[in-house]
Amino acid sequence: MATAKVETGAAGHGAEPRGKRSDDGQATYLVAIAEALWEEMERDERVYMLGEDIGAYGGAFKVTEGFIEHFGDQRVIDTPIAEETIVGMAVGSAMEGFRPVAEFQYADFMSSGFDEITTVLSRYHYRSGVPLPVVLRGPSGGGVRGSSFHSINPEPWFAHAGGIKVVCPAFPSDAKGLLKSAIRDDNPVMYLEHKWIYRRIKEQVSEDPDFLVPIGKAAVRREGSDVSIITYGAMVHKALEAATSLEAKGISVEIVDLRTVYPMDEETVLSSVAKTSRALVLSESYRVLGIGAEVAAVIAEKAFEHLDAPVERLSPPNLPVPFSPTLEDAFLPGVDDIEAAVERLSTW
Amino acid sequence: MATKVHRDTGSTDLSLPDDQLKEILYLLKLARYFDERMEALYRQGRLPGAIYSGRGQEGTHVGVTFALDEGDSLFPTHRDLTAQLTKGLDLKRVMAQFWGRIDGYTRGRDGNSHIGDWQGNKTFTVMSHLPIAYPVAIGAAWAYQRRDDGHVAMAICGDGSTSNGRWHEALNWSAIFRLPVVWVVNNNQFAYSTPNTREFAVPTIAERADAYGMPGVRVDGADVLEVHRAAKEAVDRAREGGGPTLIESVSLRWRGHAGHDPAKYVPKEMLDNYVADKDPVKNFQQLLLDRKVVDDGDIEELNGRIEREFDEGYEYALASPFPEPGDAFKGNWVEDGYWTSEPGRDGGTEAG
Repeated sequence: MATAKVETGAAGHGAEPRGKRSDDGQATYLVAIAEALWEEMERDERVYMLGEDIGAYGGAFKVTEGFIEHFGDQRVIDTPIAEETIVGMAVGSAMEGFRPVAEFQYADFMSSGFDEITTVLSRYHYRSGVPLPVVLRGPSGGGVRGSSFHSINPEPWFAHAGGIKVVCPAFPSDAKGLLKSAIRDDNPVMYLEHKWIYRRIKEQVSEDPDFLVPIGKAAVRREGSDVSIITYGAMVHKALEAATSLEAKGISVEIVDLRTVYPMDEETVLSSVAKTSRALVLSESYRVLGIGAEVAAVIAEKAFEHLDAPVERLSPPNLPVPFSPTLEDAFLPGVDDIEAAVERLSTW
Repeated sequence: MATKVHRDTGSTDLSLPDDQLKEILYLLKLARYFDERMEALYRQGRLPGAIYSGRGQEGTHVGVTFALDEGDSLFPTHRDLTAQLTKGLDLKRVMAQFWGRIDGYTRGRDGNSHIGDWQGNKTFTVMSHLPIAYPVAIGAAWAYQRRDDGHVAMAICGDGSTSNGRWHEALNWSAIFRLPVVWVVNNNQFAYSTPNTREFAVPTIAERADAYGMPGVRVDGADVLEVHRAAKEAVDRAREGGGPTLIESVSLRWRGHAGHDPAKYVPKEMLDNYVADKDPVKNFQQLLLDRKVVDDGDIEELNGRIEREFDEGYEYALASPFPEPGDAFKGNWVEDGYWTSEPGRDGGTEAG
């Protein structure tokens, strides 16, 4: 893995072309997502995409650049600005056997389709037995000076709905493999792509057309023995950075990347905690009743006998993400905050 | 754009074949009988949950749905059970649903008219957040257009739903893409207790079609043939690639929003006059008697058949077991196989 050149405009918009793999086969997260979409569109005629400005414009972040030219406007559909109906259309067409992938320009705007997502998409199969193979994609997360309406982490809202799998990849390989799995899944999947990662992180990504990363499985990103950090999304990268400097201080950190936040891979979380006996739960979503709160509860309930220290949570307060660099940097968990929390835990 | 076709003709044109006219009469009478008997059972405390009477609106429900073919889909509301029966749902399984039994269409996961049968009769399992199914109908209609298979989607909502943003999103979207969909508004003049005057400031709902770029038509919901003619025209247009139509079918809700609601907010004189003059079931039966499509003997036979079907349905419902308690935790994810296998039948027929 290497850090790619970063090109971000306001709110992380991708004014630059999407780009492609480097000669040595490395792909950015952005390119990996586009590859997954392209391959699944090629593989299965039933797959189609809909969303705002995804056609001729290629999407706000250029994920779908070049798609409409290749797949045509019947499979790459520019929609009116009507999020409830974007979700409704996805559901109705899935009922008729299609496999829609709906793009939200920002994950923030998923709340504009909230009722169709939480009432129809989440609950319809349980009540009717009709499968809804729908993927909702959206760029989530902060750290790009996007402020209140272009930085949200909506995963707790939709994980709570109960009938939607929610995935939050942190690496290009996972981004590709999880999206391909999501499109092939017969259940609704919300796919949250962190916009801070888009052009910053690149790595070798499989070119196997059947390369899949299973939904519902976490990954251990770094082995360690003193403290477990359980996290996901962009925070995985902050945790990795913190772990490197903590190592110099003699503290060995294990990092669990959840990858799927709902349904959660409790087994991987619990076996890491059994090994280290100390847990820092790190999330970019809200602290109160957030994803981290659930992880902490699972550890308290099922790994109590292994714990040498209280479970610690590190996550932003339930407040809008502020714009000014000083405010946003204070708001989001930073590498320093992670280091301090791990050091606190390791004194127990 | 030809819009605002206001019909107020009164139907005497029996251009449908006799067997279809008789089928319409059967459906109207079945709906009325079902509605009355279920309300009686509810008031006696013998029916759990809720009831949402569609009485007085049978002309709308039968009229619009009778225009659909088997492969067409219907997106109804809780008020539209009659439309679902017209589409082909089995009365026995409908009643099993009311009593929360495993043989109901939702296997006990939902009750009353929150029902649907997508796999069989292509009806959407009703949801309460109206008009929540309007955007979903867009997706079905898009699928028919993309496959060019000639099918049509029809969605029903009430007058209250027209105040909701999704109603506008869906109508607008359907016109932009010229989708094969028919939008039906069952304007029964009250959204729970809220009258039309608190729902829209234009004289009619139908004329809103102008603003979206589609034909709009207002029909008398008490006149099943008038409703059916308008629906047939709209369905044919959609099937032939002519895009969406908005149908406002005007009636009056004779009963409360749900079984518990005495609906005192409906002026008594308004209701009395309506019931006396605009009974869609009585009027249609009289028309068929006058035109000698049926005679008194036929009506007697029909009444007997409907009563028998109801009784059989009731018996079937009460004999059907409750779902096994553990079923509550199954069937959320496709891969657990709950919906593709036969459910357990050991839930008993007595609930606590």
